[in-house]
Amino acid sequence: MPSNSPPVTGRWPEGEGRKATVWETLTSERYFRWTLLVPLLVLLAIFMLYPLVYSIYFSFHDWGMQGAPVFSGLRNYRQLVNDREFLIAFRRTLEVLFICIAVEIGLGLGLALLWNRDFKGQNVVRGLALLPLLVAPLILSLLWNFILDFNFGALNLVFQAIGIGKVNLWRPDIALFTICAMTIWQWLPFSTFVLLAGLKSLPRDVFEAARVDGASRFYTFRRLTLPMLTPLIMIIVLLRSMWLIRLFDPLFGTTRGGVNTELLDWITYRTSFVMFDIGYGSAMAIASWAFTMALCLVMFRQLMNAMAPKT
Amino acid sequence: MLKKLLFWVITGTVLVVIVAPLAWIYLTAFKSQSDIFAPDLSRFVFFKPTLGNFQALFGNYPFWGNLLNTFIVSIGGTIITMFASLLAAYSFARWNTGGGDILFMTVSTRMFPMAVAAIPHFVFFKTLGLLDTHLGLMLLYVFFNISFATFLLYGFFNEVPKEVEQAAMIDGYGRMEVFRKIVFPLIGPGLAVTSVFCLIWMWNEFFFAFLFTRSDARTVNVLLSSFWGGLQVQYGLMTAGAAITILPTLIAAWFMQRYIIRGLTFGAVKG
Repeated sequence: MPSNSPPVTGRWPEGEGRKATVWETLTSERYFRWTLLVPLLVLLAIFMLYPLVYSIYFSFHDWGMQGAPVFSGLRNYRQLVNDREFLIAFRRTLEVLFICIAVEIGLGLGLALLWNRDFKGQNVVRGLALLPLLVAPLILSLLWNFILDFNFGALNLVFQAIGIGKVNLWRPDIALFTICAMTIWQWLPFSTFVLLAGLKSLPRDVFEAARVDGASRFYTFRRLTLPMLTPLIMIIVLLRSMWLIRLFDPLFGTTRGGVNTELLDWITYRTSFVMFDIGYGSAMAIASWAFTMALCLVMFRQLMNAMAPKT
Repeated sequence: MLKKLLFWVITGTVLVVIVAPLAWIYLTAFKSQSDIFAPDLSRFVFFKPTLGNFQALFGNYPFWGNLLNTFIVSIGGTIITMFASLLAAYSFARWNTGGGDILFMTVSTRMFPMAVAAIPHFVFFKTLGLLDTHLGLMLLYVFFNISFATFLLYGFFNEVPKEVEQAAMIDGYGRMEVFRKIVFPLIGPGLAVTSVFCLIWMWNEFFFAFLFTRSDARTVNVLLSSFWGGLQVQYGLMTAGAAITILPTLIAAWFMQRYIIRGLTFGAVKG
């Protein structure tokens, strides 16, 4: 094999009939692309394929981390579709997904339109607005638990002082919205700045023309701005869905899945690591993984198109 | 005039909402226990600053050791991630290797529920004796960041024109030389941005650190989460630790303004 695939380019230092060394074969025009992938593929095989196969295997078994796994066929999956707690967690995750994305895009668009101009101190404003994005979600969840505390939390003290009265933000009927608000607080800068970058790149002459033609501002926004921003909005929806389905850290420092805030990843974690029902936990994981993949595969195509090098 | 006022009122409100919680960390870190729990608005800002929390944190807890663990794991993980993803991203960008399928597979690693990827890894690591070691955590972080790094670098490589490489090859450069001498210097900024993102992500990661480290390799986030005790929460210690731990990420957010959005959207948005 190596001998009949001489490198297309590169120098042959000595002799024509000599066999190519392994290194030369690997870096030859034909194999170089695959050689480059080796480290990645090895890592993926160990850290992705193996856990995936493992989880699929255990989703058909009963195992409590001790003794031998017992084959149980489809029982875990049958249990899954009838498990009220799991279905509620699933619905809640979709709720969080919907609320967070809608608010982030709505408010983000508003702020982007507001800040899409030159004003004094714009760099400072933008710099400050970006700060939450990179702070560890776990630390933020511990912090929010403190700030939103009913008895001595800063927010409730402020509420009391201005006469609204204290609000228990961890009440079962609103705790989920509190979690959403925490998440939105951290990620609002993301959609804001993506849309801001989009607004800045819009062609000016089209808007000039619209203005000259006497189009109203609302009409211009609906017919020109919004359609041009659609690809970016899609990117935001895709990436945020991907990250929101896996929401875990914000629950850790606050409700720990209590007061009606148990989300998909938390119930999976609880089933596997607190109740040690590995088989059932794996079934949950596979189900939520399949759902995420299906959702993202569709949207990923759009992202690839948006990213394709423009010629 | 009114419009301008309205603009600044909204901007000001948004900034207060964004900055206040972060400022709260730094205020609380310097408060004594009685000031922390005082139900008194004036003591929000006017209190007698104390270093007690920091002293307790440094004296009674292995804070610096754990911070060092976080540091070691982040740096090591970033180096491995960058190595593997740099090569792979080049291959994807130049030859579209695997027709996009392998690239999607790489990206999809982020979609697997971490909670359950953790079980097989746990068993696997236990057999190899990698639990509670830097190397073990590093490898997990590599796996969880490689998708992002590969995809981000893929975007940067796409911007290097193929013609530059072809010209070099006509001049007699081999593939390796083209990669080393032509392409590598051209994507310098991309490398820097991607590395910083990996660093921050690994720095912030909690779940795996929580499950896979106990003492030797415990990261600072796990230490901070342990202040969330069963009976009471040690807010002074927690905020003191958090104040130091989030500092690098805040600095990065401030100085990388231009690149953050571009990075987070995998280069789809030129920020």
